[in-house]
Amino acid sequence: MNTFFMAIRNLQKNFSFYSLYLISVAFVITVFFAFTSFSVNTVMLEKISADGRVETMCTVISVFLMIFVLFYMTYSNRFFLRRRTKELGIYALMGYRKAAILSLFTFENILVCFGASLVGIICGAFAHKGIVFLISELLNLGIDNSQIQLFNLNAIIKSAGFVFVVIFILVISNSRFLYKTSLMNLVRYEKKAEKKMKFHKISAILGFAMMLVGYLLALNILTGSQSLWITIGFYQMGLLTMFIVVVGTVLFIASFLPFIIQMSKRKKAKFYTSTKIVTTPNFIYRIRSNAKTLIMLTLLSAGVLTISAVMAISLYYPIATVARIAPSEIEFRLENNIRMEDIENIISDYGFNNNDVSLLTTDIYKVKASADSLPIEYSLGASNDKKSNKVIREAGFECISFSQYKTLLEAQGKTKVLQELAPLNDDEVILMKYQPSDNTKEIGNQYTLNLNGLEKCVIVKEVSLNNAISFANSIGTLIVSDNLYLDIASTEQPFSTIVSLNGNSIKNNEDLYIALSNYLNDSPYLLGNSHRIKEIIFLSSSTFLLIGFLVVLFFIAVGSILYFNNISSVMESKSDYEILEKLGYTQKNLRKIIRKQILTFFSIPFLLGLIDCIFATMVYKTGLMQDLLENSLSQYIPVVIAIVITSIIYGIYYFVTVRACYKIALK
Amino acid sequence: MRTVLKVKDITKIYSKGQKPSLDRVSFEVDEGEFIGIMGASGSGKTTLLNVLSTIDKATNGEVYINDVNLKSLNDTHSADFRRDNLGFIFQEYFLLDSLTIQENIAVPLTLQKLPPKKIESKIKSLAKRFGIDSQLGKYPNELSGGQRQRASAARAIVKNPSILFADEPTGALDSNSATELLHALSEANSELNTTILMVTHDPYAASFANRILIFKDGHIIQELHKTNKNRKIFYEQIVEEVSKLDTNR
Ligand SMILES: Nc1ncnc2c1ncn2[C@@H]1O[C@H](COP(=O)(O)OP(=O)(O)OP(=O)(O)O)[C@@H](O)[C@H]1O
Ligand SMILES: [Mg+2]
Repeated sequence: MNTFFMAIRNLQKNFSFYSLYLISVAFVITVFFAFTSFSVNTVMLEKISADGRVETMCTVISVFLMIFVLFYMTYSNRFFLRRRTKELGIYALMGYRKAAILSLFTFENILVCFGASLVGIICGAFAHKGIVFLISELLNLGIDNSQIQLFNLNAIIKSAGFVFVVIFILVISNSRFLYKTSLMNLVRYEKKAEKKMKFHKISAILGFAMMLVGYLLALNILTGSQSLWITIGFYQMGLLTMFIVVVGTVLFIASFLPFIIQMSKRKKAKFYTSTKIVTTPNFIYRIRSNAKTLIMLTLLSAGVLTISAVMAISLYYPIATVARIAPSEIEFRLENNIRMEDIENIISDYGFNNNDVSLLTTDIYKVKASADSLPIEYSLGASNDKKSNKVIREAGFECISFSQYKTLLEAQGKTKVLQELAPLNDDEVILMKYQPSDNTKEIGNQYTLNLNGLEKCVIVKEVSLNNAISFANSIGTLIVSDNLYLDIASTEQPFSTIVSLNGNSIKNNEDLYIALSNYLNDSPYLLGNSHRIKEIIFLSSSTFLLIGFLVVLFFIAVGSILYFNNISSVMESKSDYEILEKLGYTQKNLRKIIRKQILTFFSIPFLLGLIDCIFATMVYKTGLMQDLLENSLSQYIPVVIAIVITSIIYGIYYFVTVRACYKIALK
Repeated sequence: MRTVLKVKDITKIYSKGQKPSLDRVSFEVDEGEFIGIMGASGSGKTTLLNVLSTIDKATNGEVYINDVNLKSLNDTHSADFRRDNLGFIFQEYFLLDSLTIQENIAVPLTLQKLPPKKIESKIKSLAKRFGIDSQLGKYPNELSGGQRQRASAARAIVKNPSILFADEPTGALDSNSATELLHALSEANSELNTTILMVTHDPYAASFANRILIFKDGHIIQELHKTNKNRKIFYEQIVEEVSKLDTNR
């Protein structure tokens, strides 16, 4: 029988085993091909990338992707090879030369890779089309989907070339394995006793301590301006913390975990139970041989979770802040050359009936004031400010009447804010804050407003983040009582008039926005809520898309490695379950033991990864994101959602793995 | 004396059309007996042991252990039944590789939910009897074959089963280790009053039993009794009977 037929026979015989390998490789190739198609899709790239940023990112990610695919394929190849060493030993005993065995494997690999490529290219092509369709719908790119090839020749050549390189590397890796391993080891590879490992107390404690130190360093960022992250530098601290946590994780898994489990054996009352007496030694046994895999999985999980969480928060946060940056659907400053009739005409040109649209004009008076300490907003953006913008602002408070404020909030549909709003006395004001730093500091402060010589003393009754006028048009806003407002108006302070448009029928209307923008000569004082959200989504979509590819890959990797590892461990200990059954363990007992073993293996990378993710996200948010929203837990909802989705995916993997293991171990 | 095992007309047919591996076998075993089961390869000994020990189900007939009909047990009950009543020693050692010898022996006792102190003292005294008390902290693959076999015997006996099933327990042992194990078994039999059913090809091993059932083609074709005879004499009797079976020699 020649090698080629033997390879085919082998594949047939071990079909269920190989189908796993095939599916996972096909999956990886699907992602690879979809990505490659995407990166050679000029129609698409032209639309979403103005400055070549996306192209650069594509290149970077494709390098990542190739390294990853290579790593993944060698890992799973080596894994399947190890599972078959006994079979190899039998071939070798029967007198097959190593070269013959190698060529058998090469044939098998070519068959598997060929099949997987075929499946992967077909699935990947459709996945690519789907992605293009989704993006073009989401961003209104108006791409004609039929214009885009299903199978791009260029992408096929690239992918096929890459697969050949992978096969070549696999052959080299296999031959190294074969020629390095002696016949004795081939025959007894699986049963080879793991060297008894001493778990050093010192490295165990060091691992635990380093993780603790790493997390404390991360927490340090919350201490504000004195934190090490600011005094030493964000990137230096980031690298240091990451280094400490990674080394800590390695020691934690390799030494600390087995160490405490070994210690837990001393608690005899707990240890001598029918489940623990099997699972505890088993865990120690497994971690001896699988520490490396577990560490890798933990780091991968931390990566997946952190990337998903950071992605979620960095999309959500800017969108959430739009509510403050552009509180009205459309808002602009009424400057001298603008006539309201023209505006009204433009609105009705786009076919809106006025009973749904509210058009409010607000006069904002600028008032100078003096006080022991004026809030930072008073002079924000003024010429003496260090961070002065192009638009230079006169320092001063900008006053809006209480009833106008209420009307604006009503038009913007902020009913919850309205409900909590208590009426103002004539000497009370509400101060609109720009950033949510220590919000109670200014409550009770007294400011003396200077109205052309007339002095009015006011007290800050509350501070608020619910500005009804955008920051572009008003900073240092004071909400004053209607009476005070009339006083201010009568003293002829400088003022600006702001027009706010709200209403459901003008929501998400890009044409209206563009028409207004043209009419206002691209005024910097024109802001649109939906427009801004669209802009943010458009600008970040390509980044998210590309990172999304990576996240999906991570998930496939983590899931399949966990799956393979657990399956193989259960296969190896299949006879153990038979023994236990003969000793009187019920099927229920055995299932519990299997479940527990798998659960520990799943939960270590997941939980450690989760902790890493929480700290990393916290550092990212505190250190790298602008802070405009009230610091409430609701900001972390997207992070929670990302984590929940990740947990669900993990949960699915867990159940699939458990079921497969039941099937293998139990009748 | 009390009957612990009653076998009535059991038949086992693995697949239709095949001739039965057990063909209407009946016998009874009293408490404290040490039974040897002999017969040519393929004569149905392992099959019998599997059926008697709830691992497999008979096609026909009834098995009673301590007056419990094995047919009436579902999966959970038969597991509990094994836990409470049966012990096993197999030709392969069947120890759990990842557990130390001590932990291996402790497993059946944890199933019975004994307190840790009791578990440890039981293991200690039994390990001494089997001569493995210095090996308790080691892992199975650090032991010799004979030591492993004794460890698995200790695990089978430690919970004082009503019946101990042993399938060629000395098959892979040199004569010294085999003798040690057999002495340990017959001690357990005489001192702890454990009932033992042991399959063996070896007349020497069989001579430790006090009754021998000889199988051929799924039938019991002969029974030998020790009846107060010296073990050496019984051994010679067994050798003679076995060689009679071997018409080819
Ligand atoms: N799982 C099975 N499926 C089908 N037939 C079986 C199975 N197990 C055993 N047999 C058949 O039943 C018969 C008795 O087998 P058994 O294993 O009981 O023999 P044995 O007396 O234990 O032999 P040995 O001394 O070689 O261990 C044999 O003919 C065997 O082929
Ligand atoms: Mg047999």
